[in-house]
Amino acid sequence: MSFFSRSPWILHYDGSSCNGCDIEVLACLTPLYDVERFGVVNTGNPKHADILLVTGSVNERNIEIVRNLYRQMPDPKVVVAVGACACSGGIFARAYNVQGGIDKVIPVDVYVPGCAARPESIIDGVVQGIAALELKHRMTA
Amino acid sequence: MSLPSIVFALVALPAIVGAILSLFTQATLRNAIVVIGGLLVAAMAVATVATFGGADGAFFGLPGNMALGQTLIVVDFGLTAFVVAISLKHRRVLAPILALAQFAIALYLEVAGRLPEPDPQRLFWVDRLSMVMILVIGLIGPLICINAIGYMRAYHRSSPMIQGRRTVFFSLLFVFLAAMFGLVVSNYLPLMLVFWEITTICSFLLIGYTRTDETIGYAFRALNMNLLGGLGFGVAIVLLSSQTGGLDLAILTHGPAAGALLPAIALLAFAGITKSAQMPFSSWLIGAMYAPSPTSALLHSSTMVKAGVFLLLRLSPAMSGSTVGYLVAFVGLLTFLFVSLVAVTEQNTKKVLAYSTIGSLGLIVGCAGIGTPELAWVGVMIIIFHALAKSLLFLVIGTIEQRLYTKNMENLDALLSLMPRVSALFLIGISGMFIAPFGIAIAKWTAIRAFLSVPGPAGAAMILIMAFGSSLTIFYWGKLLIKILSARRQTDYERSIENRVSRYEWLTEGALALGVIAATACVGLISNQVVGPYALTAFAAAPRVFLAIDPAILLVMLSATLLLPFVAVLSWLNPTYDHSDFYASGRSANVGHVMGAALGGIKRVTLRNYYLDGVVSGGLMFRTGTVACGAVLAAMVAASVVIR
Amino acid sequence: MTPAIYALLFVLLAPVFGGLLAGIDRIVSARMQGRVGPPLLQPFYDVGKLLQKRTRQINPIAEPLLIAHLGYMAATGALLLGGTDLIFTVFVYALAALLLVLAAGSANSPFSFAGAERELVVLLASEPFFILMMVAVCKVTAASTFGGVLASSQLVAVQLPGVLLAFVVVATIKLRKSPFDISISHHPHQELVSGLTSDMSGRLLAYVELAHWYESALLCAFMVLLFNWSVPLGLLAFAVAYALEVLVDNATSRIKWQLVLRSTWAATLLLCGGNLLALFVMGR
Repeated sequence: MSFFSRSPWILHYDGSSCNGCDIEVLACLTPLYDVERFGVVNTGNPKHADILLVTGSVNERNIEIVRNLYRQMPDPKVVVAVGACACSGGIFARAYNVQGGIDKVIPVDVYVPGCAARPESIIDGVVQGIAALELKHRMTA
Repeated sequence: MSLPSIVFALVALPAIVGAILSLFTQATLRNAIVVIGGLLVAAMAVATVATFGGADGAFFGLPGNMALGQTLIVVDFGLTAFVVAISLKHRRVLAPILALAQFAIALYLEVAGRLPEPDPQRLFWVDRLSMVMILVIGLIGPLICINAIGYMRAYHRSSPMIQGRRTVFFSLLFVFLAAMFGLVVSNYLPLMLVFWEITTICSFLLIGYTRTDETIGYAFRALNMNLLGGLGFGVAIVLLSSQTGGLDLAILTHGPAAGALLPAIALLAFAGITKSAQMPFSSWLIGAMYAPSPTSALLHSSTMVKAGVFLLLRLSPAMSGSTVGYLVAFVGLLTFLFVSLVAVTEQNTKKVLAYSTIGSLGLIVGCAGIGTPELAWVGVMIIIFHALAKSLLFLVIGTIEQRLYTKNMENLDALLSLMPRVSALFLIGISGMFIAPFGIAIAKWTAIRAFLSVPGPAGAAMILIMAFGSSLTIFYWGKLLIKILSARRQTDYERSIENRVSRYEWLTEGALALGVIAATACVGLISNQVVGPYALTAFAAAPRVFLAIDPAILLVMLSATLLLPFVAVLSWLNPTYDHSDFYASGRSANVGHVMGAALGGIKRVTLRNYYLDGVVSGGLMFRTGTVACGAVLAAMVAASVVIR
Repeated sequence: MTPAIYALLFVLLAPVFGGLLAGIDRIVSARMQGRVGPPLLQPFYDVGKLLQKRTRQINPIAEPLLIAHLGYMAATGALLLGGTDLIFTVFVYALAALLLVLAAGSANSPFSFAGAERELVVLLASEPFFILMMVAVCKVTAASTFGGVLASSQLVAVQLPGVLLAFVVVATIKLRKSPFDISISHHPHQELVSGLTSDMSGRLLAYVELAHWYESALLCAFMVLLFNWSVPLGLLAFAVAYALEVLVDNATSRIKWQLVLRSTWAATLLLCGGNLLALFVMGR
């Protein structure tokens, strides 16, 4: 096991979501769930992050942002799509400005369903993301 | 050759070169004379020092024991007449009044026969301090003259409105060197005063070179302030003329001065303070920044201002332990503190260099005033390292200014990618000015240690000033370093900029950069062989070691000496820049620092340094410093009379 | 043992000390917030991971500058314990701190630049204190080296209460704690608040973290200077001061740089300067 599984740093990006999933992501950091127990840190800077956690769908305006953030993350890196909108566009999928899920723009490793996704499932998604991270590290190392 | 004759040759040589230069207007010929003359002067300076060897000091008179006779009063008349004439031409009142007052004093002394006949064998005095000064003037000065060939060519190309008077310019540079040499070997005070006034007038002419209304104003400001200092010098001579041996500098400064001599010492110190541009007389040096850069380099690194601190260091044993000495020290240290505060608010790089110069000189003045062997050691060390690093910096900023058309620190953005080799030179100069293990930082460290043993509240105040002043120094140099070291992708045009730097500039600036590094590497040698023995001789103190360099310190010093320029060159060789890919909250940021903005717009990224707006006001600090130092200076002169 | 061995021990053990301190800090902070917090060794995992991660550089100067930052930070401690002059050590310390500023500024990007400038401001804010502290310690003990101060019979902290108080205030800057953590913070932050590291990734970030561990150990050594009677006493004092810093960190919010500069300079001038003045007047 490498250090990646003990120290996954997360970058949380909110696409065009209703903020329901974002509230749940933040709930993971609260005393009730306390993901820092697993070394998870919510960094807020792509250059520091290992896991890109996206909530909400992509639209015309944020495609560029999502791409840039993903590009600026150093390898190895994984993407976790949190919630129905991030996975597929959700109930906004047919809206005039929405492109669909995150996988329309960047490769997604883990899909976390739910509207909004529960903190438990988000944590589970991150744990699966860690496994993917580990795999990618081993493949490139 | 004997020591006296080689010293006379040293003083005469630049004067002769200057005279020859004034005869030739043809550029190629002039350049050749400047280069050959400069090299000869440097060789002569080295020869002088080699002849002097390791002696403690020597006195001598004119060749063949000639008496000075009426020479001084005749030269004095010529200088006064010149000042009066040029002031009338430009309708200035103060300068001729000051010059005439000084001439009146000289005339009174001469006519009334108050001036005792000097000992013809003791007109000149050379010791280790003179030798340090001769090397500083004789090695750095010619490099600046040679550098000026390339600089002035670019200068007149970029400013065609300015009428070229390069013949006069180069001639003056050499005459200046001659006057400086004369000044540092004089022992008879009236003789020294004549050289002192020649440097004042040369600097006046050099500052006013472009003859625009602006520079003429600054030139007269410099003239007025320095003539005022010269007047103080003159009055001191009057006071000393009634004392036995009073006009003999070596006897005067043999040890702590008797009470009757203190007023004269105070006036001489006053002259030194004006010349070294301490507050309240700092504004002349700032104004002088409008002159061509080689002028700044010559006046503010190796000559002119160094004449002021040279005199103060000479006086140091006499001021030792007196109230006058303490007050002189406070003028210097307060100047250091206040100009450092002003410097953090300044955008013009040349002015930052100017404030830093005044601050370094302030440290020397502070050391000279206290008058202990340790602090004299510090003062001379700062003279050496400051002269090297600051002349390099002024020349480099001149080179940059002529190629990028800016002196503003904000526009030096990414200098490393535009002019990598020039940047490396710049970095060596800046490192030499403040980074921990270079000479000046070593000197500051020793100064703090020495102030530690100054008793009473004065010692505490000095240490507080050192602590805050040094921190401010780190701040303003740090800002400049950030600007230089930052990088961006350059255009083809920008890539070619550096190729237009002339070889005169490369050679001279490279030589000075090597000088900074070599002096750092040899700091122990300089201390043990030259500066240490000087301090012990001047204060008649018991032999001891000033700088106990343990291997750890030496290691840190040498590694830091080469760190920044090495890193700069490293990155210059590495072409894999990825400057477009910085984090901008997810926005695309591309070449040329253009960022995507809201609603599809684009915005240019402009990064501006902190100038401590709202916390430190440069203008207020300058005025406060001027008033505070003026008050201390007045107290100093008053104390010399009151406290016997 | 000779001073050279102390110096070597510092270079080897300071990262362990600093890393464990950071681990304890994170657990204590978490408990203060009602959380469990990460494992004790979490900082080591983080640095290990950063070293394994790919590094992307904007400006190739940054890496040598950061290595030099790390090297000089370690050298500062080694020189201090190795018996070099205390005041000289502070000069090397300032150089180490400056190198971090230059590394950040070299990215020439908005957040890095702002971070570099703000770090320069806090360097300006803290530097006078460290010079004055060393001068005061030298003055009280008449010694000039670490060993000399430890051998002195004077308990320095008793003579220098003002310096001790000012140390607690100024160390907040160096320990990256609120309210003075304006350029980089211990907590996950971004953009303006953590501008200093915004464009550093992978091993570059690991250098910064390692250097910070050395710095924590260095500050601990400074505290030992003040409590020079015994090293355990100094360590205890540092632990108390650090606990106080963590509490303040969790209880206060970040302030503007102007206020950082004004408040630390005021503390330095009044507490430290006053203390120094008293020493000089009493002629000690």
